[in-house]
Amino acid sequence: MSESGIDGERRRFIAFALTPSLIVLFAIAVLPAIYLVVTSLTPFQLTMPGSATDFSAPLRNYGLLPGDPRFVNSLWVQAKLSCWGVLFQVLFGMLLALLLNVPSRLVEFARTFFLIPMVLPPIVVAVIWKLIYTPDISPLYYAAQALHFTMPALTSSVDFALTAIIIADTWEWLPFTFLMVLAALQTIPDEYSEAALVDGASTLQIFWYVTLPFIMPILVISGMFRLIDSVKAFPLIFLLTSGGPGTVTEVTNYYAYLLAFDTNEIGYSSAVTVVMLLLVAGVSLGLVWMGRRREAMA
Amino acid sequence: MNAPTSRKATPGRLAAIMVTLLILLSPFLWLLQMSFKSNDQILQFPPPLIFTPTLEHYSALWHSAFSASFVNSLLSASFSTALALLLGVPAAYALSRWAGRGKHALSFAILVTRMAPPIAFTIPFFLFYRWIGLLDTITGLVLVYTSFNLPLVIWMMQPFFDTIPVSLEEAALVDGARTRTIFTKIVLPMVTPGIAATAILCFLYAWNDFFFALILTRTNARTAPVAVVNFMNYEGWEWGKIAAGGSLVMAPVLIFSLAVRRYLVSGLTAGAVKG
Repeated sequence: MSESGIDGERRRFIAFALTPSLIVLFAIAVLPAIYLVVTSLTPFQLTMPGSATDFSAPLRNYGLLPGDPRFVNSLWVQAKLSCWGVLFQVLFGMLLALLLNVPSRLVEFARTFFLIPMVLPPIVVAVIWKLIYTPDISPLYYAAQALHFTMPALTSSVDFALTAIIIADTWEWLPFTFLMVLAALQTIPDEYSEAALVDGASTLQIFWYVTLPFIMPILVISGMFRLIDSVKAFPLIFLLTSGGPGTVTEVTNYYAYLLAFDTNEIGYSSAVTVVMLLLVAGVSLGLVWMGRRREAMA
Repeated sequence: MNAPTSRKATPGRLAAIMVTLLILLSPFLWLLQMSFKSNDQILQFPPPLIFTPTLEHYSALWHSAFSASFVNSLLSASFSTALALLLGVPAAYALSRWAGRGKHALSFAILVTRMAPPIAFTIPFFLFYRWIGLLDTITGLVLVYTSFNLPLVIWMMQPFFDTIPVSLEEAALVDGARTRTIFTKIVLPMVTPGIAATAILCFLYAWNDFFFALILTRTNARTAPVAVVNFMNYEGWEWGKIAAGGSLVMAPVLIFSLAVRRYLVSGLTAGAVKG
């Protein structure tokens, strides 16, 4: 066989291996995305048959968005949930990683158990926190009662509902930042802190001047990952507060869900979703850009 | 030379780690113990920490519609895993061996599909399924789950193929073997551990899904996570059953996660599709 014959055969195989996946990905990921954008240009409601193909005012939905107080509020709620959640997850994840960064077989074994909240089905996480936040059966309320302290109802209170969601979300995703930071910590050569120790640096100084600069990129990247995924916080809100009280915990994702599957405003909901997608894509691009820059620096 | 003080496993530090672990896992343990309590014990104050465990909630679940939804979860997760592996493993190999220009763009596109919030896919899938009659079917769920499992397979399998030296395949090529034979007889057996880990992760992601199943199923194809929530809405606040249902849904996840803990990180950083 000639050299080009082998190459040709190899190229054909690669095409044969890749094509089915590309076709399927196109059909189940690209087409739905296109369809979503198309639907967002119509006033589509399930109860009005002709509305799915009504393109008479294509940008009407998008024009309505800035004046929709629930949409604006949902972005604001999402921003609060994401920022506080990411901040706590990165902070506590880092502290946990610092605590567990010791060479010991026992600690290595224990590490797996710290990952449990992250791998649990999200709906089970929501059930767990439902039990914690329901006064009749919650250990939290038992403890408060034993201490003669009146605990406010958390998930139905305007002041605490979002905090309750943030606590549950932080609990669920803390293991993720913990894992990432721990992996970064384990690549720091011991010699660095040893040298600093010889020079008389305190533990705090070593952390501030040696460890922190080293793990900073990973803190930012894991925070960005969490920021992107925080948009998906659905089961917690669905089960704990249903977006309430009022619209206190109604994030954009949940608002889009209510619009499409509760009030049948499919077209308008699609427009909300498209805006949300653009925001997520923006953050994702930032993440890729930062990853590239880091590669270039290394 | 000793490790610096900040990296020593002192007894005080070990104690701190164990206490932290206990506090962090306490909400999870609370659910678990509640599933073994009778309804009276659940509402008792102060809560009894030592009690005779009962399996009444588990057996009640097993004889209800919940067992059918458990089977639905099992079927849709398994089939979608199989489909994603069948399509994705050869594609990952092709991407690993192909030095073409579009490679990075394609990898990025695959990552983006994993980052999109599920609602973006749900609206088009719901309308399409409603039109062709795939609502409330296992087939419908399998297709949706493949939309996030296929990118996961391609993303996770590529590094495994990258570690296999090309020289090995070239040797076989010189001996006149066809690429297809090389792939099935030489390359695939070498990445079996990777395939196993990827399969488990795919299964878990599909198993964990709540959002798609909530919207795309009604009664026939209802999955276990949706069934647990349904107790709350339709059968009143039966805490014992809810806790037992939650425990059953998380059981396979805990077992499998332990099995693939080494690969968990790369699988989860590919943009988690939970929710």
